[in-house]
Order: sequence, then C-alpha cells, then structure tokens
Amino acid sequence: MLNTLIHVEHAMKDSVKTNIPTLRKKKFLSLSEPYLFLLPALIIFGLFLYYPFLRTIFLSMFLTNKTGKAKIFVAFTSNDNYLTLFKDPSFWSSVAVTFKFVIAVALGGLLVGLTSSLLTEKKYRGSGFSAAVYAMPIAIASAAASMAFKMILHPTNGLLNQLMGTQINFTGDSRYALASVVGLTIWLTSGINFIFISAGLRNVPGELYDSASVDGAGYWRKVFSVTLPSISPTLFFQIIINIIGAFQSFSQIKLLTEGGPGDATNVMVWSIYKDAFRNFRFGAAAARSVILFLIVMVITIIQFRFEKKGVNY
Amino acid sequence: MRIATRQRRLLQNTGRFLLNIPLMLVILVPLLYTISISVMPPDEIYGNHLIPTSVKFTNYIQAFTNPYYNFPRMILNSFIVSTTVMLGQMVTCSLAAFAFSFLQFKGKKILFIAVLATMMVPGEVTIIANYLTMAQWGWLDSYRALIFPFLTSAMGIFLLRQYYLTFAKELYEAAKLDGCSNLRFLTSIVVPLSRPALGALGAYVFLNTWNQYMWPLLVTNSREFRTVQIGISMLYDIDAVSLGLMMAGVVIVIVPSLSIFVFMNKQLINGLMAGAVKG
Repeated sequence: MLNTLIHVEHAMKDSVKTNIPTLRKKKFLSLSEPYLFLLPALIIFGLFLYYPFLRTIFLSMFLTNKTGKAKIFVAFTSNDNYLTLFKDPSFWSSVAVTFKFVIAVALGGLLVGLTSSLLTEKKYRGSGFSAAVYAMPIAIASAAASMAFKMILHPTNGLLNQLMGTQINFTGDSRYALASVVGLTIWLTSGINFIFISAGLRNVPGELYDSASVDGAGYWRKVFSVTLPSISPTLFFQIIINIIGAFQSFSQIKLLTEGGPGDATNVMVWSIYKDAFRNFRFGAAAARSVILFLIVMVITIIQFRFEKKGVNY
Repeated sequence: MRIATRQRRLLQNTGRFLLNIPLMLVILVPLLYTISISVMPPDEIYGNHLIPTSVKFTNYIQAFTNPYYNFPRMILNSFIVSTTVMLGQMVTCSLAAFAFSFLQFKGKKILFIAVLATMMVPGEVTIIANYLTMAQWGWLDSYRALIFPFLTSAMGIFLLRQYYLTFAKELYEAAKLDGCSNLRFLTSIVVPLSRPALGALGAYVFLNTWNQYMWPLLVTNSREFRTVQIGISMLYDIDAVSLGLMMAGVVIVIVPSLSIFVFMNKQLINGLMAGAVKG
C-alpha cells in the first residue's frame, strides 16, 4: 500500500517535472505571442522610420562627406549646420516661399472644395457625375498631373497661352512660377477637399435650414449663417490637411520649376533634395529636414489643441 | 399646374447643371487636353490645334515599342512594386491590428502610440537617411528598395484596428474556448469578415504606391528598375520636342489610377478618409 503510494507520488513528481518545461514554453509563447504579431510592422518601422529619423537628427549635427558619412561634429560650433542655415538669407527666402505656397494652396484648395461641395449639395440629374468629376483628382499622380500642366503652360504651344493669345513662360518667369505650382497643387488637392467638405455638408442637420427658411433667410444668408458655422470643424481640419500636404509637395516643383527661377519656388522639400542630391551636403540637408519636421509637428499639435476645444457652435 | 411644376423642376435641374459646368471644366480640361495632344500629329501640336483633325496612335505605339524608352518594363515595375506593397501592408497591418484589438499584453498602449507617432513624421524628413541606408546595403536600383520601406503603415494598422474593434468580444472568446489559435482566428474569421476594410486599405495603398515619385526617383537609376511616374518625366528629358509622346505617357499611367477610382471608388474614398485622419 505504502509502496504503491510512494510509487504514485514518484510518478506524479516525474510527470510534474517533465511538464514544467513544456508549461513554461507554453506560457512563454502565449506571453510573447502578441509581440510576434507586431513584429513585422515594428521591424519595418524600426528600419525605415525610427532609425532614419534618429539618423537624420544625428547627421544634422555633422559635416558629411560626399557619400553622406558623418565626418566632423559641428553642433554648437561656429560651423553648426543650423546656425549656418539661419545665417543664410536663401534659407529664409526658402522658408518665406514655403509659407506663401502652403497658405495659398491651403486656402485655394479649401475654396475650390467648398464651391464644388455647395454646387453638388442639392441633388439634380447628373449631380453624381459632377461629384465624380470633382473627386477625380485624388486618383491622379502628382507627377502625371505635373507633366500635363507642363504642356498646358508650355510657352509656345500650351493651352493657356493659346487661350490668352500670349507667349508667357509661366514656369520660367519669376512673376508666374509660384502661381503656376500653386495652381497645379490646388488642382491636385481639389478632390480630397471636395470629399471631406461635402461629407461635412451632409452632416448638417436639415432642421437648421428649415428654421432658417421659416425666418425668411435666402440662399446666401443660409450659407453664411447656417452652413459655414456648422461645418467649421470640417473646414479647420481640411485646412490642416492641406497645410501638411502642401509642406510635402515635391514632384510639382521638380517637374515644373526645379525651385526656380532663382529661388522663386524653392520650397523646403526642394531645398532638402537640392542640398542632399545636387550639392551632396547631407548634413545641411538633414538640418533642413529636422526644421521641416518641427514645423509640421507644431501644426499637428495646434490641430490637436483645437480639436479638443472644438472650433464651432 | 402639374406641367408647370414639372417644367420648373426641369428648369431648376438644368440651372444647377449649368452652374457646375465652369468648375467641372477646370478639373476636366487638363485631362481632355492631355488626351487630345497625345493623339495629335506633331504638325498639329506645333500648329497650336486644340482638337486633332484626325486621331493618330503613333505616340502610343512609340511609347510601347521604342526600346530606348522601355516603357512596358516601367509599367511592369510599377505593377510589381504596387502589388507587393499592397499585399505586404495587408499582411503586416492585419497582424498588428489584431494584436492591438484582441490581445492583452504589456506595453500595448505605448506601442500603439509609437505606431501612431509615425504619422507625424512626413516621409520627406527621413528620406535622406533612408537613401543612405539603401546605399550602404547596396539596395539602390532594386525592387527591394522600392518595396521594403513601405511594407507597413500606421494608417493601415489604425484603419484595420478600428474595424476589428467593432467585432463582438464573444466571438473571440467562443473561438478560444473551442481551442482556436489566435493566428487561425485571424485568418479564418477576422480577415474574411473585414473585407471592406481590407479593400479600402488595398485600393488606397496600391494607388499611393503607383503614384509615388520622390522615393523611386532617388533609389533607382537604371531603366530596368525605374517606375512609370519617373518614366513619363524621362520621356520629356530624353526628347523635349516630342510633346505628343510625353502626353501619351501621361495617359498610359493615368489609366490604372482612373480605373481604381472608377471601379473601387467607395473603397478608395474610405481608405483616403482613414489616411487623412492623421493623429
């Protein structure tokens, strides 16, 4: 009897002994499983987002050689990349051009989006087609649109000059170059502006219009005292999207003006590209990148703040 | 009386349509003009015609057959890259979104914030460092360089997670009780149920990759790995006189984009809206 009991106990011990590693293994697996699910995404983010982000900050503190190797640590010295930039008038002109460009694109895009949304707000036969046309630019690549606009703006054979009976070199004349890329960018972003603003319009409660009608308000009165205040959060959000998008514009500049003539369209992303891949000054280009990041971050924070407070009512 | 209202309605309808025409022209004319130039013989382009007197497809044949441009190869490259990136994002984003919505683990919140934070960094900010990485690894001029950096996105993870959160928790618990593994639950239940969200992600990612310009411009050099968007600008650089050829190139690269817009409109717009709701 005792013998058997001891035997059983031994057997149990054995089984427990043999089970502990497998149990541990199982527990380890179930504990680590969530991280395994995240692993592919985190590896990609690590290699192509976090690491290059830190590397950009690192690079911005060095003078680099032609292959982008950090050579001389210059942060806080008289050769500091940031300090050099801040002392360079062409940097400030690039910042000024960028802000002009961004503001014109953000407001222009908003205006086109608002107009197209209001025009298709009331349904009519064929309004579905109009809506599709207004949304269409979301699908068009900026490079493809840039080439099309290159043709439209062509000094001798372009559509615009033919229509006006002129021979203006739009992209090569500093009076028109910035306006040209602004126009193209507004065209490109008109689709997303239309989609978001008309989604905002659909959410305006119909009763608001009804009571305004009862009060005898005309169309424009309703637009200004019902529609616009009701969709102001959408409009604000859309301006932010436009601003952040405009800061990142590259193909238009590269394909239409290459930042010129002079510095007329030298926006920040173009100056990053030029510094790094034409002048091989990777350190300086990295410093410009960090500044661009800080600007975009500030705008994003402003957006957060306002979203919490709410923009309207 | 009835006729009068009908007439008034017709008038109203026509009026609304007419109001739309100017703005619709602004959006449409660049495309129509591009098509028009692309089928024009050179003498008409330089004769400043707006509409061709006869339709010629010489430019398209040139674009497709001239080995010097090697346009078909670029189209193939763009298709390979866009499709791989699309499928890759569907996989990595599904896996990550699953962990963020169904599983409990240490550091979940911080990791999720770390993922969302990537949306605050514009791609242009990291592009130099990424380029240097590619150069170091010897990845320049390869599909790897065009594909790997885009194999996941915070937008995709966020979009799918939001969708997964609408699923009933009981579904997951019941499956677990039946001994269903997490991976199996994801592949055989969650993925089939989230087809609308995956469609939105897929349409959006394919289009975005197809339309990429700056990154492919930096990391490819040979005609072998160039993508179409670079290709059309090269048609101009090679031969600035052949405006018609250039416009034919533009039409060719716009066709796939427009097809997605027409046939997957709803998915595309859903994806776009998720993509724009940054942070």
